[in-house]
Amino acid sequence: MQPNLALSSTSLLDTRRQVETPEGIDLILRPAGLMPRALAFGIDLLIRGAILLGAFILLGVLGQFGAGLGTILYFLVNWWYPVLFEMLYQGRTPGKKTMGLRVVHDDGTPVGWAASLTRNLLRAVDMLPFAYCVGAISCLSHSSFKRLGDLAAGTLVVYRDEEPKRPQIPEADIERAPFPLSLAEQRAVLDFAERRADLSGARRAELAAILAEPLDSLPDHAEKRLHGIARGLVGSA
Amino acid sequence: MRLTDASVAIRPRTAWEAIDLGVLLARRHAGLLMLSWAAVTLPLFAVISALLWQYPSLTVLLFWWLKPAWERLPLHILSRALFGDTPTLKEALTALPRLLKPQLIASLTWRRLSPTRSFDLPVMQLEGLGGEARGKRLTVLGQRHSGGAAWLTILGFHLEGLLWLGLATLIWLLVPQQMETQFDWETLIQASSGKWLWLEHLSNLIYALVLVFWEPIYVACGFTLYLNRRTDLEAWDIELTFRRLRQRLVGSAYALLLACAAVTLMLPAGDALAAEPVGTCPVPFDDPAGPDAERLLNQPLTSKAAHEGIGTLLDNPPFENRESVTRWRFGDEEKAEEPSEEEIKDFAELLEKLFKLSEWWGKLDPVALAFEVMLWTLLILAIALLLWRYREWLETFGGRLGLPRRRVREMPSQLFGLELAPESLPDDVAGEAERLWAEHPREALGLLYRALLSRLLHDFRLPLKSSHTEGEVLRLVEGLQHEELGRFAQALTRHWQNLAYGHRLPPESLKRGLCEGWRRLFGRRAAA
Repeated sequence: MQPNLALSSTSLLDTRRQVETPEGIDLILRPAGLMPRALAFGIDLLIRGAILLGAFILLGVLGQFGAGLGTILYFLVNWWYPVLFEMLYQGRTPGKKTMGLRVVHDDGTPVGWAASLTRNLLRAVDMLPFAYCVGAISCLSHSSFKRLGDLAAGTLVVYRDEEPKRPQIPEADIERAPFPLSLAEQRAVLDFAERRADLSGARRAELAAILAEPLDSLPDHAEKRLHGIARGLVGSA
Repeated sequence: MRLTDASVAIRPRTAWEAIDLGVLLARRHAGLLMLSWAAVTLPLFAVISALLWQYPSLTVLLFWWLKPAWERLPLHILSRALFGDTPTLKEALTALPRLLKPQLIASLTWRRLSPTRSFDLPVMQLEGLGGEARGKRLTVLGQRHSGGAAWLTILGFHLEGLLWLGLATLIWLLVPQQMETQFDWETLIQASSGKWLWLEHLSNLIYALVLVFWEPIYVACGFTLYLNRRTDLEAWDIELTFRRLRQRLVGSAYALLLACAAVTLMLPAGDALAAEPVGTCPVPFDDPAGPDAERLLNQPLTSKAAHEGIGTLLDNPPFENRESVTRWRFGDEEKAEEPSEEEIKDFAELLEKLFKLSEWWGKLDPVALAFEVMLWTLLILAIALLLWRYREWLETFGGRLGLPRRRVREMPSQLFGLELAPESLPDDVAGEAERLWAEHPREALGLLYRALLSRLLHDFRLPLKSSHTEGEVLRLVEGLQHEELGRFAQALTRHWQNLAYGHRLPPESLKRGLCEGWRRLFGRRAAA
């Protein structure tokens, strides 16, 4: 049964990418697709536009000297804004932070100067022939949603993991599972207890009834017992 | 619908991740989706364009307006492909008329501009809900993710525009420069005059092509958003795991129970049972067909399937790492053909002619010889001239070229701290030694030994080195096969060592013997 499961799960379509560390730990990365990235870019574009507009109004007072400064500023904001933010702000520009994204290397390590410069300089290619068409098509057709800059630099744009909140498990008598549970099965029992509020009562009863027979209990009591097992898995808190 | 057959990993996701999953889903079935979309929409586009040739703007508007109708086809394909039942192109196209029937008017009128179009479509098409039921269902489903669906539509709208402009720009960039003079922005603006109709139709066609790429992704993203919402709402992931758990715990027990029952029912009478020791599943060694025979035929995982599964596993990394190497090589050489008779005949003729030629050449021998001598002389002269011309260069740089040179053996000027140059010796060594013997026997013996070494080095050309010891020098002297010299050297060395290291004075009687010996050996030569 187990190897069979493993076989079928490899071909399942999923957005997650697993990176195995030398210690044998699987890090899970969740590459972000075109939609959140486009929105993040839009937000950054607005911020950059606002900065430039404000600066140009101020520098306009200085005449030609101001125009020179403005040109330098334009260069910096255009080409160094993403690089500096990615390097000094944990791989996030303000837009990416808003969308919960960050840039990392393919293996999940924080992005470095070389990679960041490469991926941002290659925007020049992704922009072709008009407004990031190449980048969008590349993003939509790559399995990890990479644009050409990401491909060249070996970087990924991933969703940041949110801080986990302490889940609420309903009151029940703590008990040990009467049969051994694999990790995925333990996770499912916990999920069942934690997501209680999102599920309708009828649906909960239906789900619990699936396990009524192996639990040796009436379908009506199965839900309560599953909650008990979940509490047992979490341990005393 | 069986969740266990789903070809995507079922778990609750955020709205954005659900959309990403849709992109991947569309990518997996990209060929079928785009082909079916193109097969339906492009002919329709052609028909609309032909009918409304004078009104290109109206054409594109109509085409755009009809989009929701065709979106049902990708959704149909995806909903079947999700559970591993991917239809063929033909099946999908034949299903289209049936798909178009329900609620087409609503889709194309008051629901046309709904921003959550892609998210709502599965409720109508897959759940078959209409009217009030549909509304309620959408209210429940739309509590989450409808924002994501709206963003999807907004982004899709922009992306269509971008891709359309991008493709148009690309074509514009590819127009040769010579033609560009004719394209003036002013004339383009006046395009509505009718002269540039074909250009507008071209731009419409670009839009139709962009939709072929984008529309399947849009529908797939809406579909996965819908799936994700239902996963969330109905805990599909939990159900999936629970069902597998139940199967693991109960299913195996059931199978065992059923097998026992079957065996009990099929049991023949007691005698037969005693006579036949064969079980339903013979041990592989007892099986006449051997261990490779198919076994476990009455259960989901037969031995053959397991064998194949193991085979494919072992055939993939990390067990097997294949790589293909491509490199250039010469084409196959043409095979040597068997010589035909004609060729043999030709060859014989050729030999004959060559023979005749050599005979003729025989007559020319003296002339040839003269020429040969002249040519060789010329060559040698040329080489000599070259060497002469570059003699200085060769002298300067010849050494650096690593040319072999006769190595000049360096003669040590000192051995055991004794000066060996012939100039440093007195002319009459024996006389000087005799004179010194009485007062300075040490200097006298030293002088003799020093002179002996000097002679060995310069007259006999013995390869003495400063690292040699007295004993080694003696051995070298023996190698000269000179009996007298050998004896003299031996005696002198022994007494010199005694004096130099042992501070034992040589006996007086030795003085004559050594000096005479010296005179005998070297005196004549010195005189000569």
